[in-house]
Amino acid sequence: MRFIPEENITALLLRLSENATVWAPQVVRDTVNTVLFAPWREGAEIETGLYSALPVKGLVLPATERLFSFRYHRAGEREKIEIEVDELRERAAVFAARACDAKALVTLDALFLDGSGRSYNDQHYRARRGALTVITLACTSCDSACFCSSFEDGAAATAGSDLIFYPVSGGFLAEAVSATGRELAALDLFQESNLEKPPLAETAKVELARLGQRLLDKFDDIDFWRRTAEGCLSCGYCSYACPACHCFNIFDEMESDRAGGRYRCWDACMFYAYTLESSGHNPRPEAAHRYRNRLAHKFSYFPLNRGEFLCTGCGRCIRGCPAGRDVRDVIKALGAG
Amino acid sequence: MSTVPRKGIKATKPLVPEPATIIDVIVETPSIRSFRLVFDDPGIMKEFSFAPGQIGLMGIPGVGESTFAISSPPSRRDYIQFSVMKTGFVTSAIHELKAGDAVALRAPLGCGFPVDNWKGKNILIAGGGIGMAPLRSLLLYILDHRHQFGDISVFYGARTPADLCFVGDRAHWEEREDIAFIATIDSGQPGWDGRTGVLPRVMEAGRPPAENTVAVICGPPVMIGYALAALARLGFAEGQIFTTLERKMKCGIGLCGRCNVGSKYVCTDGPVFSLADLGNEI
Repeated sequence: MRFIPEENITALLLRLSENATVWAPQVVRDTVNTVLFAPWREGAEIETGLYSALPVKGLVLPATERLFSFRYHRAGEREKIEIEVDELRERAAVFAARACDAKALVTLDALFLDGSGRSYNDQHYRARRGALTVITLACTSCDSACFCSSFEDGAAATAGSDLIFYPVSGGFLAEAVSATGRELAALDLFQESNLEKPPLAETAKVELARLGQRLLDKFDDIDFWRRTAEGCLSCGYCSYACPACHCFNIFDEMESDRAGGRYRCWDACMFYAYTLESSGHNPRPEAAHRYRNRLAHKFSYFPLNRGEFLCTGCGRCIRGCPAGRDVRDVIKALGAG
Repeated sequence: MSTVPRKGIKATKPLVPEPATIIDVIVETPSIRSFRLVFDDPGIMKEFSFAPGQIGLMGIPGVGESTFAISSPPSRRDYIQFSVMKTGFVTSAIHELKAGDAVALRAPLGCGFPVDNWKGKNILIAGGGIGMAPLRSLLLYILDHRHQFGDISVFYGARTPADLCFVGDRAHWEEREDIAFIATIDSGQPGWDGRTGVLPRVMEAGRPPAENTVAVICGPPVMIGYALAALARLGFAEGQIFTTLERKMKCGIGLCGRCNVGSKYVCTDGPVFSLADLGNEI
């Protein structure tokens, strides 16, 4: 296997920076120990001991992005609209993503890239995803919110990564997953090594067997969901922080009298207004309805429609919930598999 | 149900609408207007085809877009019609539009009525209020292919005579001898000599036979509830009853998440569902 000495990491990132913006986890100034993936510049300290508050999905599905710009103009008697779609050309590389985040990219790929006709081949997503290199840092330790071991492969998941770094004495073993990864691992910054891969983290586990059905069995027990959602602030952090959540809103902004843009931005299914109709009717008026739908989507509907969970066990929704909600408690309360 | 109709929408730019122009505005009721529009690109207009029941997202760039059922029939090749009730921010702006104004359109989306499976069957159509919009497209399709279907009965209800849309169509439908058309208003009004009574009750009183019949209902939730109960009493099975649902939508392509009913998305799996498809999730 290939090996990169710790002291070569900066050189690797500089090499990547030649034609891409390199995103690495860093403590964001003016916050208390909040780690976010941010553009890396030489000298910036990379923080891998703490978990990032937001996943890497923003690199393929930004929190806000312009879908197109439009312009009104007069054509004779008539007003006409001209629409122009932005061409995206920027390349990006992410360093020290986690296996749970990288794996979720593959879930998003199936939704936004699948050309088979089951999904649309989203132009913006495709441009960003095709221009993204993912270097994952395998987890040899975890915290109490992590539960990726509940899922197939757990911390050893390779899906979505181009290159995986395993921390070993003096540096990292590097396992190439894609052609891009193999190209990188062939650089002179790497050398051959006989070192063994380190043991990876074993996280807490929840029982996922028959979870979709267990959830539907409880679906009509609204009191159960009211108890479950009690304390939930409907703040939406769990959606924003989720590497697999992909709900979005679409809105228009005028940039002058005659021109503007249509934007896509992250949304959250816990927001009251998410399903609020202009008539005043809301199919999911209570937090209990929304929480039920959120979990059913992740653990019942999505597996039914797509054959996989809409969750990789990253634990962000637990770690960062301002109301201390823990999705694992709900899964346990739904009964044994 | 096919989940991949998606004709007319560019596969790689599904969220990007096509510029279109309003060619006519029909004031249907105090709160409903029908807008006839054509794509600015004649090539797209020529290629445009859809099934009755399919939807489109029509909007005004700078204001936003909303989802509407196409209310014209597929045989209408010279315009696409949406009947819009003034309800919120976007529909209020749309109501200000006049012939010649520019809009942007993404259509057709979703799955329409499975009319090919209904050949040889009797069709019972029950529409309440703005719920008649997709049913107008369906009814006009059926009239275009009249010989393919058995008996056709149509019930159209609204609160007051002024709330009944499609004046010109109604006169025509009432005259036709090969369909039974009944318009009803909720309670008696001076000057109204037609039927009175809420739609589910009027429909049930007509005792439409369930045998070899497909019932298609669309309207406000209260009407749907009573109509379903009436159809059950008349002996209609869940697989014989179809409806078209409305939910708040943003993307129209099964991605933005909000329009799901259980595991199904109204925008792509629907908006047309049979009651058997929906089970108790409605």
